[in-house]
Amino acid sequence: MPHLSVNRSSKPNCRTVWLISVLVGLLAIHTYANDVLPVPQQVSLSANMDSQQLSISWLAGAATTFDLVILRTELDETVLSETVSVMVSQLSGRHEWNWTSVEPLECTSLSIKIRSREGQTTSEWSNTEILQGSDLPSEENFQIFPLDKVVPVGANTTFCCIMKEGNQFGKIRYGNTDLISTRLSRRSYATTVFNQGLSSSSGSNVICYDNTEQLITGVAVFVGYPPLPGDFVCETRDLTSTVCLWNERRDTNLYKSRGTRYTLNNRPCALEWSRNPQKEYRVANWEGKWTLVAVNALGQYSLTDSAKLSHRVNPVAPEHLTSVVHALNATVLWQLKYDGYYSLALVCQVELTSQGYKTKHTFTGVGLRSAVLPDLYPYEDYSVQVRCGAQQNFWKWGSWSETISFKTSSLVPESPDMWVWMNKDYTGQVMWKPLTRRQSRGLMTGYEVTLWSPEEHLQHTEIVPLDIFAVPINLTQIATVSSDNMVMATVTAKNTEGVSQPASVLIPLRLTDVDPLAVSRAVYTDQGFSLFWQSDANATFAYVVEWCNASCKWNCLVDWINVAPGNTNVSIESANFQPGVRYNISLYSSSSEAPELLQRWQGYMQELVPSSPVMSLLTTQQDSDILLSWEQIPLVSRRGFVLGYNIYMSSGSQFTLLANLSDPGSRSYKVKSMPEGSYKFTVKAYTSAGEDTGATASIMLEPFTDRLILEILASLGVTALFLVIVTFICYKKRQWVKKAFYPDIPEPKLPGDWSRSQAPLDVKPPHHSLVHMVERPEWDSSKEALVVIPEEDEDEDGQGIGEALADTDEPTSLRYYNQVVDERPIRPRYPDSSDSSASSLDSARTDVTYTGIQTSGSFVFQLDSHGSSEGHQPQADPSFCAGGGGGYRPQMQSRVVSDDTGPASPNPYPDPEAASGGGYKPQSSWQMDSPVEDGEGGSRAPSLGSPTSIASTQFLLPDGEEHTEEKRQPSSSAATWLTNLLSSTKP
Amino acid sequence: MAARRTRRITGPDVSRSTVARAARIAELLQYECSILLELYREKESFTADILVDGRLVSVPPPSSQLDTRDKLWRLHSALLQCRSLLDRAIAREEEELGGGKKGDYETQRKVVKDRLSYLLISTGELLKTAGGPALLTPNLEGLEIDGPTTLFELKLWVHRIFKEVDYWTKMAITTLEALPSVIAKESMMTTRVRSTRSARR
Repeated sequence: MPHLSVNRSSKPNCRTVWLISVLVGLLAIHTYANDVLPVPQQVSLSANMDSQQLSISWLAGAATTFDLVILRTELDETVLSETVSVMVSQLSGRHEWNWTSVEPLECTSLSIKIRSREGQTTSEWSNTEILQGSDLPSEENFQIFPLDKVVPVGANTTFCCIMKEGNQFGKIRYGNTDLISTRLSRRSYATTVFNQGLSSSSGSNVICYDNTEQLITGVAVFVGYPPLPGDFVCETRDLTSTVCLWNERRDTNLYKSRGTRYTLNNRPCALEWSRNPQKEYRVANWEGKWTLVAVNALGQYSLTDSAKLSHRVNPVAPEHLTSVVHALNATVLWQLKYDGYYSLALVCQVELTSQGYKTKHTFTGVGLRSAVLPDLYPYEDYSVQVRCGAQQNFWKWGSWSETISFKTSSLVPESPDMWVWMNKDYTGQVMWKPLTRRQSRGLMTGYEVTLWSPEEHLQHTEIVPLDIFAVPINLTQIATVSSDNMVMATVTAKNTEGVSQPASVLIPLRLTDVDPLAVSRAVYTDQGFSLFWQSDANATFAYVVEWCNASCKWNCLVDWINVAPGNTNVSIESANFQPGVRYNISLYSSSSEAPELLQRWQGYMQELVPSSPVMSLLTTQQDSDILLSWEQIPLVSRRGFVLGYNIYMSSGSQFTLLANLSDPGSRSYKVKSMPEGSYKFTVKAYTSAGEDTGATASIMLEPFTDRLILEILASLGVTALFLVIVTFICYKKRQWVKKAFYPDIPEPKLPGDWSRSQAPLDVKPPHHSLVHMVERPEWDSSKEALVVIPEEDEDEDGQGIGEALADTDEPTSLRYYNQVVDERPIRPRYPDSSDSSASSLDSARTDVTYTGIQTSGSFVFQLDSHGSSEGHQPQADPSFCAGGGGGYRPQMQSRVVSDDTGPASPNPYPDPEAASGGGYKPQSSWQMDSPVEDGEGGSRAPSLGSPTSIASTQFLLPDGEEHTEEKRQPSSSAATWLTNLLSSTKP
Repeated sequence: MAARRTRRITGPDVSRSTVARAARIAELLQYECSILLELYREKESFTADILVDGRLVSVPPPSSQLDTRDKLWRLHSALLQCRSLLDRAIAREEEELGGGKKGDYETQRKVVKDRLSYLLISTGELLKTAGGPALLTPNLEGLEIDGPTTLFELKLWVHRIFKEVDYWTKMAITTLEALPSVIAKESMMTTRVRSTRSARR
């Protein structure tokens, strides 16, 4: 603060004198002023706690400017220090000044002092006046202010909390929010809530807690809006009194005791509290001018209205409605509530309701009390209500009266709408549409259908119950007996009032079987099938458009509409139209003559893809071409106009489009020049909606067979010719052939003495049997080399065992079935001739050749199934031993060798001879003669040599056997073998 | 089962079924009262531990010396006072704080009021069965039936009444659950005494 520092000069005495003079002067002036400005006296305080307003008044003479100081007494904090200009109130003669405190005045004590001011001159301060707060020690309780205050939305409100004596302040909460508080005095704390939003209807709570948060006090604060009424209007209903109406255009959020109060022309409206915003208040007389004032704690709002009574007539509802009812009209009567209405020109509205439809009819008249309602339907239920208004200076319609109902009287029914469907003979049906309730015009009792021939006066009438709307007819008899060309069919409807006018259609008796017209296609649009036709300008007849399912041919369910004369187009729509159904639509003339078919259409409401593929799809090979042919899809399944066919060839899952036949009449398609192989074809018909699923047919394309057949025939011919030539040559050269291939061989002579007991196997092959031992170099061990060459008799021999048994003495052929293991037992043979012995001896040298002789029609017993099934039965089977000492038991040698032979071992046939005699035992001699064989073959096939052993069969011709043969007949050759063979066949 | 269905209901059975029904009603009321308290606290931004000092209902103190009839009388009397307080609280609340749109709170308040009436009917029947007075008039003397003057105090008072209903509902459950066996035994004893007396006669 250098500029405030004192400047020490060299002449202090002069300056001091000057300064003293100034001070003295100022003191003198001040002393003068004090003498002039009055000190405010009798300071008085008046507090309005609700508005938190403090009114201060005092006496201060003519002074007009004052300094005011307001302090919080306890903490001596300044709340206000202000210089104000206050004039003397003319009323009280005192200076009065109002101050609104931010805090409630109860929060703490306030000290107020005032002094007069004039310029810079002020008087002494007045005595300090104190406005006592509620925090005085004498008031010990917990308190909070302001109490239950109502504030507008957006307001800022300060709350103060005075703690209970001895308790410490905790916090103040507003709703769920803790607020920041300031201390006003030792026990008083204040907080301010800013920009308050709408409270709940029960008010928002401000709660003050002590430091333990146990002790609380609080207040509710209501935040809302000032009133805002609207649509204020007054009217009369009885032509005398006034009814004023208005709306609450805004919910003030203040209800019950805090709700809006109204005054009308300064008179309180005693309205019951209601949440309904529509308000209505009645005044006994008509004042012509009204002022509505709405008031609540936050403000008020005024509305005015004025009008003449005649301009505000709102009649009350007509009363006591009655009706006078006829079939086609009715009169409604009512009464007026107030006498004044009888002289008032009224306009009244009658609302007529029938079958859910409402119509309004307006009537006028002075004191109007009735109205005639024309054009009613007979036998119809109606309900009526009436309201009225002033005809002149119409203000508004009055209230609707109560509703009354009535029913009009009955009339004879309307004529039915009929039509006739004729089949292609003299049968058909007469149809009519059921009458609607209104067309019935009464309680229906039935219909009457009549067929009559005008010229022949033939008539047939049939009464039809209510629920039938079609009657079959048969005109065959009439057509035969009547000379008329026409029969008239009429239909009448009957109700309780009588019979309707007849509806009739002429039916021609001379039916033509010709369908004279081309059929056009009808297109379906949103309005239905749109039909157009040419009309003769002079034509005066009406039309009938008939339609039915095109697939129907007999007694079809048809529908029809009537078209007025002169029309050349119509759209037909029906709820019965279905997608995918073809409809025949026919246009007939409707006149006094018989209906004449004028035009015909076909159409679909919506085309669909065919529901089934083409019928009878066939594939035919034509050389290297394939012809596909089919039949068309049945009409019911087409479900659209077939536009053509697509031909596909499928290979696996792939479809290849071969052709698109756009002609819907196509029934075949030829696939040309196809190589040999298997093919699958699919034919799909298509409509505008797309293809069907397709019919599929397959074909195996084979080579051209004619040529093949020719080639085969030629080959066969050449072969046959060759055989004939060979046969012929052989025949011619048969002697040479015999010499060359099978010369005569001398019979063998056996050395040694053959006792009977050791007789060799004397097997005499039958003269007619021929056994060939075939030795094939390509012999397969699995296929024995012995081959039976059947001869003519063998078949006979082989026919049965019984036959063979019956001829046991005859030489029997030994048959070799090397490829078939015949398990049938072999019947032993007994030698009966030397020739046979010799030949058999010869065979004995190669006795193994007998091994394997298994089956012969004469020899072999056919195994029964038991034997077969018991193939593994032990060899000790008693049947083996049945012979005891005698019979031929070839298995004896092999018995111990293997059980495997079991299945092949036949049960010996119980031959009595074999059982009694010793019999031939070839195994013994064979064993003796063939020790080596035994030795060699023993290890492999102990049964080797057993001529009837199945096991032996297996060992007959293996390599080992060949060795055996070689040892026995080292010089054997094919020629020898053939010779032996041929010799054995000699007779 | 058929025998059970056709069995004639006797006195103790009536008591037991009435007690069970009353207990069931009390349990329902207790649940509904807890919901009401929750809704009220939410509406008024009160915390659950808001100070509630002292009881509003005035009945004799509980004692193990009390017999069934006295216990029932005490319970019934307390519930009667509860209903009077609740009626008054609802009326005051509607009068001074109502007028707004009705919501869940108002609905629940009515539910509790109705349920309390049902419970009173049941306890009244039990009291009658136990030999108590047929009609009991609530003793409203000493009750703060008119409530406070400031709106906040009124809200606290309403809360206190709801708490009081809640408290006495719990007491009702406790009392009723302890009753059935007692009533049965006492009924049996009563029957025996009567039989003995009849025999003596």
